[in-house]
Amino acid sequence: MTDLKAPTSDSGLAERAATAPAAAGLSLAGLARAAPLARIPPHLRSRGAALTMLLLAALFPILHPNDADIDAAANALTYASLALGLNIVVGMAGLLDLGYAAFFAIGAYAYGIAASWQVTPLWTGYWEPLQWLGLVARFHQAGGDVVHFQVSFWLMMPVAAIVAAFFGVLFGAPTLRLKGDYLAIVTLGFGEIVPIVVRNTPSLTNGAMGLNGVAAPQLFGWSFGIAATPYYYVGLLLVALLMVTSQRLKISRIGRAWMAIREDEIAAAAMGINRVRMKLLAFATGAAFAGATGTLFVAKLQTATPEMFMFPVSVMILVMVVFGGVGSVWGVVIGAMILQLLQSWLLQDLSGWLNALGRLIHSGWLSRIQLASSIELIFGLILVFMMLYRRDGLIPATRRQRALSLGEQHAQVGSGGIAALKGLGALDDSRDGPLLEIDNLTVRFGGLVALRSVSLAVRAHSVLAVIGPNGSGKSTLFNAVTGLVSTASGQVRFAGADITGRPPHVVLDRGIARTFQNLRLFPNLTVLENVLIGMHARLHTGAAGALLRLPRTRREEEAARERALEILSVFGNRLLPRVDHLVSSLSYANRRRVEIARALASQPKLLLLDEPTAGMNPAETLELAGQIKDLHRLGLTIVLIEHKLDVVTSLAERVIVLDHGERIAEGTPAEVRRDEEVIRAYLGRSAAVA
Amino acid sequence: MPEPLLEFRAVDTHYGDLHVLKAVDYRIEAGEIVCLLGGNASGKSTTMKTIMGVVAPTSGEVRYDGKPLAGISVAERVRRGIAPVLEARRLFPRMTVYENLEMGAFTRPRGPEFQEDLERVFALFPRVKERLDQLGGTLSGGEQQMVAIGRALMAHPKLLCMDEPSMGLAPIFVEQVFDIIQTINRQGTTVFMVEQNANMALQIAHRAYVLQTGQVVLSGAADELRRNPMIREAYLGEMKVA
Amino acid sequence: MTIDPVLLQQIINGLSLGAMYSLLALGFTLVYGILELINFAHFNVFMVGSFVGMWALELFGLSGQSITLSGFTLVGVLLFAFAATMLVSGVLGVAIERLALRPLRNVSGPAAMITTIGVSYILFNVILLTVGAGSLNFPNPLPRMRWVVGGAVLELRSVLIWGVSLVLMLGLHLFVSHTRLGKAMRATAQDAEAARMMGVDVDRVVVTAFFLGSALAGAAALIFGLYYNFTSFLIGYTAGLRAFTAAVLGGIGSVTGAMLGGIIIGLVESLGGHFFEVRWADVIIFSILILVLVFAPSGLLGRATPSRS
Repeated sequence: MTDLKAPTSDSGLAERAATAPAAAGLSLAGLARAAPLARIPPHLRSRGAALTMLLLAALFPILHPNDADIDAAANALTYASLALGLNIVVGMAGLLDLGYAAFFAIGAYAYGIAASWQVTPLWTGYWEPLQWLGLVARFHQAGGDVVHFQVSFWLMMPVAAIVAAFFGVLFGAPTLRLKGDYLAIVTLGFGEIVPIVVRNTPSLTNGAMGLNGVAAPQLFGWSFGIAATPYYYVGLLLVALLMVTSQRLKISRIGRAWMAIREDEIAAAAMGINRVRMKLLAFATGAAFAGATGTLFVAKLQTATPEMFMFPVSVMILVMVVFGGVGSVWGVVIGAMILQLLQSWLLQDLSGWLNALGRLIHSGWLSRIQLASSIELIFGLILVFMMLYRRDGLIPATRRQRALSLGEQHAQVGSGGIAALKGLGALDDSRDGPLLEIDNLTVRFGGLVALRSVSLAVRAHSVLAVIGPNGSGKSTLFNAVTGLVSTASGQVRFAGADITGRPPHVVLDRGIARTFQNLRLFPNLTVLENVLIGMHARLHTGAAGALLRLPRTRREEEAARERALEILSVFGNRLLPRVDHLVSSLSYANRRRVEIARALASQPKLLLLDEPTAGMNPAETLELAGQIKDLHRLGLTIVLIEHKLDVVTSLAERVIVLDHGERIAEGTPAEVRRDEEVIRAYLGRSAAVA
Repeated sequence: MPEPLLEFRAVDTHYGDLHVLKAVDYRIEAGEIVCLLGGNASGKSTTMKTIMGVVAPTSGEVRYDGKPLAGISVAERVRRGIAPVLEARRLFPRMTVYENLEMGAFTRPRGPEFQEDLERVFALFPRVKERLDQLGGTLSGGEQQMVAIGRALMAHPKLLCMDEPSMGLAPIFVEQVFDIIQTINRQGTTVFMVEQNANMALQIAHRAYVLQTGQVVLSGAADELRRNPMIREAYLGEMKVA
Repeated sequence: MTIDPVLLQQIINGLSLGAMYSLLALGFTLVYGILELINFAHFNVFMVGSFVGMWALELFGLSGQSITLSGFTLVGVLLFAFAATMLVSGVLGVAIERLALRPLRNVSGPAAMITTIGVSYILFNVILLTVGAGSLNFPNPLPRMRWVVGGAVLELRSVLIWGVSLVLMLGLHLFVSHTRLGKAMRATAQDAEAARMMGVDVDRVVVTAFFLGSALAGAAALIFGLYYNFTSFLIGYTAGLRAFTAAVLGGIGSVTGAMLGGIIIGLVESLGGHFFEVRWADVIIFSILILVLVFAPSGLLGRATPSRS
C-alpha cells in the first residue's frame, strides 16, 4: 500500500492515551441533551464535545512537535476524509463502491497536472487571460516559450472536487441502476480502468514514473514546503468541514432519501424519491470528497503514481468505513484514524519491542519481524472479523431504543387528533369526471397475463374496494397504477392526465400514495424518519439548503416534524410514544399504521391501501376501519384491497371484483354479493350445492 | 389415547422482534383432512414452515408420529413422511417435469417403490405423464399445481402439507384440485392444508382451525364451522349466506 | 482460404488462455448460482492453488524448465499434480465457506461479499509474507514437443490444456445434469427454499459448489503455471478479474455461459494484440465487463435476473 511512514517515538502513545478518556467523558456530558433523532448518539451530537475534540486535535502538533508523528497524523486525516466520502456512498445511500480510489486519483492528478511541469504547451496569446489571473506563467525556454501551469492549491481543491463529481455523474448515470453486487463489480472495473489509463497516457501523467515536482500550496506568499504541520492543519480543517457536511446531509431531506434508497429502493421510489437523481447525488458527493482529498494528498507528497490509487486503496478505505461503523460519521473518522495510526505507530512500536525481545532470546525470526508489512493481512482479518462479529462497527449508526413499559403502552389509547389533519385529498373540484380512470389495462409477466383489459373509474372523495382471491391481480393493479410494473397496453389517467408508465416518484408527486401488502417500510429507520421520508416530495430542501441550514431550511424541517407528529396522532397513542423507535422493533399492526402514516405524509389526493388490516385482530381492524373512515370524511379518495368483508361493507361505496386478472363484477357491496360470477369465483361448485 | 399424527403444543415463533405464532395448539389425527383458515399475515405460512422445520419454535413443542420434531432436519422430516406442496407451486422452472418429480423423491432411493409412486402420480394426473420432458417453468398454472402435488406424493408421505393449493387457479382447476386432495386422502394420506377459499376447503375437510394474528381463535368440525357466524363474517367465501 | 499464421497463432494462444479462464469462471458461476454471492476469495484460491501445484511438482524433484519427463512418468506426475492441487484448493474453498461465510448465510446486504474480500486479502498476504514478493519459476516437466499447423506453432502444453479443460468441463456437466447431488445443486440454484423443502441439504450443496469451484480454480492455477512458467502472489487478481468478466459475459449462474465467456475473454486477450496495443487489454476487458452489466446483465446465456421480491 501507499504509506510512507518514517520512524516513530514513544511519545505518540501519550497523546493517544489522552484522547481516549476525553471521548469517554464526552458521552456523559452529552447524555442530558435529548436527541431529536435516535440514530445519532446524543453524546456525539453535542457541539461542545465536537469543538473540544477539534481543539485537542489542533493542539497536537504544538504539544508534540515530532514531524514524523505529525506526518502520520496528517496521512490519517487524509484517509479519514476519504472514509467520510465513501461513507456517503456506501453508508448512507447503500451503493457498494469498490473503485472509490479512482475519484481520489482524479482529484490528485487534477491538481498534480495543474501545478507542475508535466504539461507545458507552447505559449500563444490565448494563454494571456489566464496569465493575468495567475493560473499559468510564461516560461522562457530555448525553442520557444512554454506555458507553466501554476494553479493555486486553494482554487484547485474545490475545482478538483467538481471534476471528480463530474466523473462520478458521468460514470454513475448509466451504472447506478444496477443492483447491489453488480454495481460493486462495475465500480471495481472503473477503479481498475482509471489507473491503467493514467499509466498509459504518459504525456499527461508521466505514466508509471509518476508526476514530479507538484507545487506545494502557498498561503499569503508562504510556501508549505515539506514539513508536515501545515498539511496536518489543512487535513484537520478538511475533515471538520466534511464531517459537518456529512452530518448535515444525513439529518436532512437528502440524507433521509439516501437512507430510504439503502433500506428499500422500491419503497423509496413509491414515496416520491427520484432514485436516479438521489443516487447520482450521493455518488457525486462522495466523488467530490475524494477529489478534494486528492489535491491535499498530492500537494503533501508533491508526487503521484498510478499505484497509489489501485484496488488495495479502495479496499483500505472500505475497511475503514466498515470498521468504524457503516453510515456513522464519527465512526468512520475514528475508524480511519485508528487503522491508519495503527499502521504507522502501533505496528512500528510493536515490531520494535518484538525485535528487542527476539535479540534477548536469540530468535532470529523475532528480531527481524516487521509487523507494518503485514498491515494488509491485518486489514483482511479486521474485515472478516467485523463482518462476522460486529457488523455495525465501532460506533454503530443506529441505536435501539428501550421497549416501552406496560404503563406507557397502555396510556390513553384513543382515536387521536384526526380532525387536525388539513388539506387531505384537496382537489380542484371544478374538474368533472372521475379522479382515477383505468382503461383496458393489461399487464404481462413473461407468458403470464396478470391483468387482462381491466377498466375502472374512481370518483373523487369516494372509497372503492378491490376484492378477489389471492393471485387474482389486485396488487398488480396497484403496481401498474403506481409505475412499479410496466403495462402491456391500456391507459391510466389521474385527475384528467395520462400517467401510464410514469415512474413511481412522479406518480406520487401527482398525488397518489400507497401502502404495500407485504409492508415495505424502512426497517432500520425510526418511525419519525419513515414518515418524514413520506414527505419527501412535499419538502424542498436541496443539498445546498441542507449544508447551509438557512432559517428557511430549519423552518421547513421543524414544520415537517410537527406535521409528522400530527399525522402519527391519527393513530392516537399507538405510534406517538414510539416516534424514535426503529420500525423493525414494532409489532405487525403498528408497522401497518406506520405505512399508512408514511403514505399520508405525502398529502395524497388518492390513497391506495393494500390489505391495510392484514395481520390485525378484530379490535385493531375495527379501530383502523374507523380511522380510514375518518380520513375519507376529511376528503381523501381511497382505493382499498381487502379480504375482510365487514371492512369492505362498512367502508366502500363500490366494489370491484377481480379474478384471474379480469374484472368479473362491479357494484355496491350488496350488489356484488349477489353476483353469480362472484359467487362462482369464490365458491366454485359449492354455489350450486349450498 | 393414541397420539395424533401431528401435534403443536403451545408453539410460539418469532421473526426478529415479530411474534408470529402465539401459543398455538393443533392436533391432526391420522387419516384426516384438516384445514387451516385465516387472513393474510395471520401465521398460516409460518405454521407450514414450522412443520417442515424451516422455522424453529421459540417455545412449545411440535410432535409427529409420537415423537418430538425439535432438532430434526428438513430432510429427515421428509424422510419420515411429511411432504409439502408449497404456496404458489414453486416448481423448479428450468428442470423438466420428470426431474421435478425426481426431486420430490430426493430423500428416497430409486427402486421399485419409486416406480410405483410414479405410476400413482400418473394415474392421478394423466396430463403429467404427457409432459415429462417439458420444463417446469413452461407449464400452465393448473399443470404446475398437478406437478407440485405429484412432486410431494413422490416422497410417499404420510402427511401432506399444502399451502394454498387453490391460489391463482381458474375455478375449474380449483375443483379438480380439491377432488384430487380428497382422492389422495382416501388412499390413506393425512392432509393438512392452509386455504383462503374457506367454503371449498370446509366442504372437503373433516376439521378446521381458524388462525388470527397468530392465535387459534376457533376450531372444530368443518360442518360446524361452516355454520359459525364468525366464519361467515370473516370470509368472503360465505357472502352468499350473509 | 488461408488464415494469416500470426492470427492463427493468436487463436491457438487465446483458446489456451480461454480454457483457463473458463475453469476459473466456473467457480464464480457455481457459487453465484446458488448463493447469489460474488466470491472475491476465489481470486486468491486460484493464486494459492498455483503454489500448491508448484510444490506438488517439486515433490518429484522438478524445478524450473530444465527437467522434462515423458511417457507414463509424465502422465503419472501430471495426474498426481492435478489431483493434489484440485484437492487442496477444493478443501481451501470449503474451509472458507465453513469458517467465514456460513455464519453470514442469512445476513442480507453486502456483508458476505465484503467478507470474501477480506478472506482474499488474508490469502494474498499470507502468501506474500511467507513466500515473498518475487516471481517463482514454475516447474514444467512437459517435453518441448511442437507441431507446425498452417504456419502457426501448436505446442504440447496447449494440447494438454485443452484436453484437461475438456475433460473437467465435461465431467462437471455430467455431474450437474445426471447425479443426485448435481440435480440438488441445480434445484437449489433455481429455488433454494423449495429444494430445501424436498429434503435437499442446502449446506451440503453449498459445500459442494465451493469444493468444485475451488478445485477447478486449482486446475486452472496449474494450467497457468504450466503455460506461463512462473507464479507469484499477484496472479490471482488479474486472472481472477478476467475470469469473473468471463462469467458475467456468459451469464453469471450459467455453467455453459462461463465456458463460453472464458473462451471469448481468452480470445480477446490474445487477439487484442492484433487490433490494439497490449497495454490497453485490461481496459478493453473491464469495459466489456461494464458494458455487459449495464446493457445485458443476464449475459450471453444467462437467465434473466431473478425478480423475486
